[in-house]
This record gives sequence, structure tokens and C-alpha cells, in this order.
Amino acid sequence: MSVSYEEVERFLRDEVASLTAGPPENVSGATVLVGTSRVVDSADLVMLLLAAEEYARDKMNVAFDWTSDSAMSEARSTLRNIGTLARHLTDLQPA
Amino acid sequence: MVGLGRSSGAVAPFEMRAADVTDPASVAAALADVRRDKGVYALINAAGIASLNLVLTTPAATIRRIIETNLLGTIFLCQQVAPALIRRGNGRIINFSTMGVPLAIKGEAIYVASKAGVEGFSRAFAREMSPHGVTVNIVAPGPIDTALIAKVPREKVDAVVRQQIIQRQAKPEDVWNIVSLLLSPESSMISGETIHVGGA
Repeated sequence: MSVSYEEVERFLRDEVASLTAGPPENVSGATVLVGTSRVVDSADLVMLLLAAEEYARDKMNVAFDWTSDSAMSEARSTLRNIGTLARHLTDLQPA
Repeated sequence: MVGLGRSSGAVAPFEMRAADVTDPASVAAALADVRRDKGVYALINAAGIASLNLVLTTPAATIRRIIETNLLGTIFLCQQVAPALIRRGNGRIINFSTMGVPLAIKGEAIYVASKAGVEGFSRAFAREMSPHGVTVNIVAPGPIDTALIAKVPREKVDAVVRQQIIQRQAKPEDVWNIVSLLLSPESSMISGETIHVGGA
């Protein structure tokens, strides 16, 4: 059974809240991950991607290879915010 | 302990796996379990190839093979194994360069270029890994008696040794002593450094 976009986004929001030690209600799908308005530094972004890699493997049974050409060619949009990353992960699942 | 080589048949006192270090997919396939293993403490990138030749007479394919193996191979291995060290919260990465970089040895320009790239990469990567408690350092030996220099004439080896601060040819155990230091907990404040075996 596939994991819904909402579940993936909730996981990512919780992870970002944990990494930033802030209240979860301050984190949304629109929370920016890269660029000048980002809420995580580069080290925390790596930790988030590692957590996403494990979540994708363990909960979604898919491989999230964030160094692959296909993922990184659109890195700016994939990593733009929590929502875009959640969408990318969700779409990795077979239809 | 896991070793990576061109073939898994190499004799070693640890598990050997085969991979083409110039191919990130091959590296990822060979070390997929290592990437997830929090027990992994260190990555040592010692693979290297060389071709003693003048730049003007070195075929493009040879140049590409040296750069891909020595520089890209190091980068791809770091990409694959560093996540395990980050998950662990500490660790060591040791990349091998060469005394040829500071000595600018004639006939080794391509090899030197690849290893200078390794040094630059390692220093910048050390900053990236620092927040995760992982150090990245470079060990740069002179001519050690290994297969890499088996075809290098004796007088050329001696000429390099004479340019070292310590003018004797280092042995494999001399290299290991430095690697051992960098692997130890006592080296936690050493990162982004190049240690020349014998001094340059």
C-alpha cells in the first residue's frame, strides 16, 4: 500500500521541527529548505535528507537517491520546500 | 572491515568487494549496506593509478582514466560512505594524495593533477563534514615500494626521496603509522590537513 503525500509531508515537518528545535505548528509544506529564506542550515539539510532516505526505504519501499542525476537535475525545485520534497518522495512510488 | 577493488578476488585480511570506482552506480551497489551502517567509523581512499609519461605524449584516454580513478573515485566513495559517518555522529575520512604534488615531479603531471584535485576536494569537504563530527585528512606518501611504482626506474625513485625532508624511502608501516594516528580519537582536532610522509 502506498504512503500518501500527507503522511510524507507530516514526517518531513516533524523532522524539520526536531532539527530546528521549534514548535511543529511553525513548520508547513511551504517551509523553505534551500535559499535565503531557509529554516535549516546545510548540515541539518543533510540530516533531513538522510532521514528521508531511510523513511523512503523503510516505509515506502522505494530508493531516494539524492545524488542521482535525475534527482539532482531538478534539485532546486525538489528541495525548494517541504511540500516539493514530499511530492518528489511520494511520486517515487509506483502508480 | 570492507575493501573495494577492481576484483573481489584480491587477497586481503578482510572482506573484498568488486566495484568500478569511476562509476557511482557501481560504488553504490557495492556499498549499499555500508551507507546505512552506523558501525562504520572510517573511509580510507587509497586506490590510485599512475602513468609515468610526458603530458604531451599521454593519450587522452589515459588522462581521463587517471583523473576518473583518482579524483572522481575518491569523490564517489565519499558520497557513498559519508552518510554512514554522519548517522554515527563521528568518523574519519582519509584520502591519499602524493608527494608529487608539492614536488611537482616531471613526468607525473596528470597523476599530480588528479591528486591535487583530491587535496582541494578533501579540504573543502572537511568543512562540509565538520558539523557532523567527521574529520577529512590527506596522507601524501612519496615512493613506497608497492605495485604503483613497480615500473619506475630506481634512479627516479631515489631522486624523489632526495627531495623529501627525511631522505629515506618510506615503508608501508610508515604510512600506516600516520593513518593510525588520523584514525585515533586523539586526532579529533585535525581536519583538512595534508600530511606528507617524509616531509615536503
